Amino acid sequence: MNSPLLRAAAAALAMLLLTCMALAAVTGNFSALTSDGVRRAELARAPRSVPHVALIDSTGQAMELADYGKPSDQATFVVLAYVRCQTICRTGASGQAWLQGAIRAHGLEGRIRLLTLSFDSENDTPAVLAAHARQLGADPRLWRFATVSSGVDRARLLDLFGVVVLPDGLGGYSHNAALFVIGRDGRLSRAYDIDRPDLALVDFLESFGP
Amino acid sequence: MARHMGIELPVLFMLGWLCARCAGPRLEQALRPWNAHGLPALLLALLVTAFWMVPAALDRAVLDWRVGELKVMSLVAAGITAGATWRTAGPIIQAFFVLNWSWMTLVAGLLYQESAQQVCSVYLIDEQRSAGVAMVCWSVAGALAWLHRVIANARFTIS
Repeated sequence: MNSPLLRAAAAALAMLLLTCMALAAVTGNFSALTSDGVRRAELARAPRSVPHVALIDSTGQAMELADYGKPSDQATFVVLAYVRCQTICRTGASGQAWLQGAIRAHGLEGRIRLLTLSFDSENDTPAVLAAHARQLGADPRLWRFATVSSGVDRARLLDLFGVVVLPDGLGGYSHNAALFVIGRDGRLSRAYDIDRPDLALVDFLESFGP
Repeated sequence: MARHMGIELPVLFMLGWLCARCAGPRLEQALRPWNAHGLPALLLALLVTAFWMVPAALDRAVLDWRVGELKVMSLVAAGITAGATWRTAGPIIQAFFVLNWSWMTLVAGLLYQESAQQVCSVYLIDEQRSAGVAMVCWSVAGALAWLHRVIANARFTIS
């Protein structure tokens, strides 16, 4: 390596290689530039099993998220939200409401169930969740609302779904949102844009084959 | 986010630059065997600044302290190497890197401002807009500052 130009070229090549490796690491092997996109690709590539998360539903009954992690005939469409949210959670709620309508319209009651999980257990008590569910016209047989039982459960919930929650300085939270699907095999394998429940539904129906 | 991208990242880079200035000509000489025309050093600066504009990268730096440390070290290192070899690179090569960096930062800043989608999961969407504005300001300021130096030097050599 006597020529300084050759050495410079080698140095440049090494740096480009290093940058490519770092970029691959951060973008999940070039699947997306945003964390949400990376999460979507990672879930599709490596579905996650559902851990134990103690929940309380809108009737005050204790629930276990792991029950949705068992193989069954039903897929679960999950949204993480909090009741006081004025922005992105409303889109999620209207998406779930649309899905409820679609489930009824196409007779998919035995195949899809809906779950809205609140990570704000301090404010979203069972009574608050029940009122919220009534307001949305939720059918309790199809669409359940629940919140976490403790800080530890909350952490496990956010970790499973890869959701980051930040206080927004106005008493609420900012958080990345998605419409998640726990498949019939009981594993979390899909994340869709929160405003595209139609895509989630189409994908689900297509998974049954022609 | 505006403070992170608009202040912390440029300050780290400029700290490195100042360190290189203080180190004097010996640093430049030490780097010279692998740094013909300053190209590798300036390439490093370009790659590092581009990398930390990727939303997923910035998210990781905030969420994982080890990636955060790497961010600090990479930006300071980029500043040091770029600062050490700036003068020897000459105005033409400087122009290539400054204009590329400025254009990239300008476009990234505009994208951050315009994007209706929240690109970073650790920052609020309105912070995204101000981060974009900060990036646009830096890109313009950087290009103008460099242009000013070039014109001033040209006047000096002509007269």
